[in-house]
Amino acid sequence: MNAGLKYALAFALAAGAGHVGTIVAAPFAIMHVVTGKMSQDRTAINRFVFGERVTQNSRNVVRPSPDLAYSSCVYDLSEGPLLVTAPPSPDNGYVSLSVFDARTDNTAVFDSSQFPQGIRFVLAREGQAVAGGDPVVRTSHDTGVILDRRLAPTAERFAAVDKARRMNSCAPL
Amino acid sequence: MAKHWKLALTIVAGLAVGAGSAAWSMKRGGLSGVGAGGWYGNSVTGSVDADPWTRARVALTGLLALNKSQAIYFTTNVDAAGARLREDCRYRVAGAALPARWWSVTVYADDDYLPLNDDDALSFDATEVKPDAAGQWTALVAPQRAGEGAWASSRKAGDYSLTLRLYQPAKSAQDDYASIPMPSVTRIDCGGAA
Repeated sequence: MNAGLKYALAFALAAGAGHVGTIVAAPFAIMHVVTGKMSQDRTAINRFVFGERVTQNSRNVVRPSPDLAYSSCVYDLSEGPLLVTAPPSPDNGYVSLSVFDARTDNTAVFDSSQFPQGIRFVLAREGQAVAGGDPVVRTSHDTGVILDRRLAPTAERFAAVDKARRMNSCAPL
Repeated sequence: MAKHWKLALTIVAGLAVGAGSAAWSMKRGGLSGVGAGGWYGNSVTGSVDADPWTRARVALTGLLALNKSQAIYFTTNVDAAGARLREDCRYRVAGAALPARWWSVTVYADDDYLPLNDDDALSFDATEVKPDAAGQWTALVAPQRAGEGAWASSRKAGDYSLTLRLYQPAKSAQDDYASIPMPSVTRIDCGGAA
C-alpha cells in the first residue's frame, strides 16, 4: 500500500469513527448536562423539582412549551426502585408523567386519561426485585429523568396546577 | 518517527472532521419524516426504536420529546411557498380540526429556544382559535398583534421555526402521520408592507 493511500484510508476510518462515536455519545452527554441543571447540580436526586412558568428566559431544555407546567425528578436507581405518584390537576386538565432514560429514550408514559384519579407506578432497573401491585416500569439505565407535564396555558391555570403538583412524590420504595 | 506523527495527525484530523460532520448533522441535518406544506415529523421521535441519528438530533433540538402515543410533533421553518420564516414577515396559519385532545403552535428562534420577547404570546393553542361552522380556523404569527384573533409573536425570533404539538393524538393519526390535516403557513407581507 502506498503512503498516500494509507493516509487516506486512516483519515476515512477516523472520520467514520468520529462521526458515529459522536452520534452515539451525544444523547448521553446532553442528558447528563440537562439532568445536572434540573437537579441543581445533582443535589436534588429522587425528588421532584418544580419549574417556574415557562417564559422566553427558560433555557434549561430546548423547545419548552409555554403552555405547560413542568416538574422533574432526576432519578438514580443504583440504591433501589422508586415509587412515583402524581395527583390529578384540580380541573382534570391534562397531566402526564414520562420516563426518560440516560440515552434520552422515552421508555414509559402515563397520563390523566388513563389514570384520572392520579398516576402511580414503580420505576426499577431491570433485575431489581419489586413487591406490591403497582405498575412497574423497567429501565436498562440507572439514571434519567421523570417529567411531569400539566396543561397550564395561562397564569391562572399555572397557579391552580402548581398547588396540585406539589403533592407529587418520587422516592425510594 | 515523522511518519508516526503524520499518521497520528491524520487520524486526529479524521476524528475531528467526523465529529464535526456529526454535529452538523445533529443541528442542520433535519429530521426525516412525514409531513406536508413544509411540516415534518418523525414517528420514532422519543421512541426506543429511534435510530442513532434521529435520537441524537432529537436530543439536541427536542430533548425530552414524548413518543407518539402521547404527543406528535411537527416542525416547519418555511412558509407554504418554501421561503424561510422571518421575524419581519406576517404569516397566516390556517387549518382544520386536528385529531388530538389538545394542540398548540409555538414559535422557536434559531437557537431552539423561545424568542426573547416579553409579549406573553409565544404560542397559540386549540382553545384560542375560533373555528367556523366547517371547523376551519386561522391565527396570526407576526411581530405585532393585529386584531382580536389568535396570535403568536415572532418579535426577536430572527429566522425561526414553528412547532405543532398534538397531545393525545387519535390512533388514526399515530398510525398514519400523512392523514393529519396539516395547517398551512401563508406569508401575508414583510417589513411592515400593507
